[in-house]
Amino acid sequence: MTVQSTEGRRTAAVPLYARIDVIGGAAIILLAIAIWLGATELDAGALSRIGSGALPKGLAVILFVAGLAILLKGLLQSNEAAERFYVAVRPTAIVVASIVLFGVFIRGADFGFLSTPQLGLMVVGPITVFVAGNATPEMNVRQLIVLSFGLTAAMLLVFMDLLSVTIPVLPRFIQDPLTLSMGIDTLVRVGYAAYGVLAAVLYVIFFGWPELRRD
Amino acid sequence: MIDLFNNLYMGFSTILSVQNILLCLIGCLVGTLIGVLPGIGPLATIAILMPLTYNAEPIGSLIMLAGIYYGSQYGGSTTAILVNMPGETSSLVTTFDGHAMARQGRAGKALGIAAIGSFIAGTFATFVIAGTAIPLSKLALSFTAGNYFALMVLGLSLAIILAGGSLLKAVCMLFIGVLMALVGADQITAEPRLTYGLQILYDGFDVAIVSMGLFGVAEILRNLETPEHKPFVGQVVGSLLPNRKDMKDSAGAIARGSVLGSIIGIIPGNGATLSSFVSYALEKALSKHPERFGKGAIEGVAGPESANNAAAQTTFIPLLTLGLPSTAVMALVGGAMTLHGVVPGPQVITKHPDLFWGVVSSMWVGNLMLVVINLPLIGVWVKFLKVPYHLLFPTIVLFCCIGIYSVNSRPSDVLEVAFFGVAGYVFHKLKFELAPLLLGLVLGAMLEDNLRRGLILSEGNVWTFLSEPLTLALLTVALLALGAAVVPSISKGREQLVDED
Repeated sequence: MTVQSTEGRRTAAVPLYARIDVIGGAAIILLAIAIWLGATELDAGALSRIGSGALPKGLAVILFVAGLAILLKGLLQSNEAAERFYVAVRPTAIVVASIVLFGVFIRGADFGFLSTPQLGLMVVGPITVFVAGNATPEMNVRQLIVLSFGLTAAMLLVFMDLLSVTIPVLPRFIQDPLTLSMGIDTLVRVGYAAYGVLAAVLYVIFFGWPELRRD
Repeated sequence: MIDLFNNLYMGFSTILSVQNILLCLIGCLVGTLIGVLPGIGPLATIAILMPLTYNAEPIGSLIMLAGIYYGSQYGGSTTAILVNMPGETSSLVTTFDGHAMARQGRAGKALGIAAIGSFIAGTFATFVIAGTAIPLSKLALSFTAGNYFALMVLGLSLAIILAGGSLLKAVCMLFIGVLMALVGADQITAEPRLTYGLQILYDGFDVAIVSMGLFGVAEILRNLETPEHKPFVGQVVGSLLPNRKDMKDSAGAIARGSVLGSIIGIIPGNGATLSSFVSYALEKALSKHPERFGKGAIEGVAGPESANNAAAQTTFIPLLTLGLPSTAVMALVGGAMTLHGVVPGPQVITKHPDLFWGVVSSMWVGNLMLVVINLPLIGVWVKFLKVPYHLLFPTIVLFCCIGIYSVNSRPSDVLEVAFFGVAGYVFHKLKFELAPLLLGLVLGAMLEDNLRRGLILSEGNVWTFLSEPLTLALLTVALLALGAAVVPSISKGREQLVDED
């Protein structure tokens, strides 16, 4: 995808709408308008008594002018000086999806438009790693599976056992009874031990016995 | 002078507790570890690791953050020498001669002199900080609100001028940052501002979340654009300790680099990068054999490495004495201090002397650790250099998610990180520098507060506000600097100085 974009920049003319300064300038202008609209209710006050709206309104005007300048520069620049706007959509979408999955399901919450159950780190952790890993063509499924369990085990160890941060570990209907019967500390330790062993076993199955013991 | 040593003594007695030494050590090690990993600079390292420091005491967490900072700087130099990949722009110069030395089989010596030079420069910079802190903070306490406002304007102007890239775009980012700082309840009237009726905006923007998105996640997205290239990592051959001739060759370079870096570091902007370039140019100009530069001259490693380390430390001065962060990294450190209830500014030194002197002495201890512990571990760091990116980035993603969730236990924080990750990536592709945004976000509230108070004191008369000599002088310098940056020849040079630090 990258190769395509650099070739495109050299050979074809960059259309006005695809120039980074045009898009950048337009984005700043839109932002400035949004800020102005958000600040209309606020009182700008007087010089001796600056109101809460003075700075937002003043800065919105400056941003608008600056955005306009960038936009004009983009429209007027020569084709050689223009740069084509390019973002790698697929990796971005995948990485964002993995982070959003984590945020939505780690504890579960009511987000207004959707309410989600708690799945806990032991479920969400491997999923996040696995989904994120798909963002690159170098992805290797077997390595990624080992990584997702091993990493979740390591994070449980570091954050919950060493730093004693409270993070949901399992779906609520499993975690609550287990916490009652064995305590959260034991639960976490059992959890990362199990995932650590799982990662090690999968490693041996996929890649064979390591010749050099790493410990 | 006696005071200076008394204060440093207090600092050392603070840091020499088992817990603080341990935190300093962990900070240095983790910082180096992440710093040598391919594609992660110091700013991203600190943004990613910041949640780890939240659970410690204020002193401990600052000591650890500082440790992470020079650890990652040191990691950047290591990759510059061994694989010709500068982890950050401040070690770009190190690749010229450092990597040349590595190709000649003298990698060990290059790493050794970089560490020794950094240590000497760090020691010098520690004394510079200790010596300038009290006078500067006393001066700052006598400032009026108008003076402070002008000083902030000057600092921010210099920071965006020296940060490189398009000036207009940097100004846009700065103002967006300031506006983001205003979101939420007004400091005086408490009325909600710019919240658009959204509950999530009432609390304003958290520096940790914004920076993790803008610098941590966005950096991953940027790296994923290009196919992975596997760096060729040579063997570390030769002894790590420079011999007597090497030391003699580099002694002058280290001394000059230390002084140069300490001075440039105090000026807002990317002091570490600028000072390493200046130091390299200076050594080349002073050398009797300038033709050796670029072909493995040891002075070409010793000078810039000393300079960037000294500068990396003296950038703490404006933050700790005036409360004005001059780089994005310092903005993050300032954010962390505020989170622990220590507001950066001239009061820190009098209200929390143990914290202030503890952090200053921890810098020296941290530098010592880098020489004594990290240098022998070079074989381990080389292994980390070989970590393939396709396994590394999912790790960072998960780490960021858990890290930011662990701060407030709020799922919406994680979603915010994703949002700022995309925003950071898109703005980077539009060639907007993101560091000014962070500076604006951290300083915005203070800027508005001082402008308000200054104008109240001058009864709304702009001329009274400006007629204070210091205010006028500072604003004039800011204006001149901005004016000079627009001059075509200077602006050309600036645009090449794009930096992430």
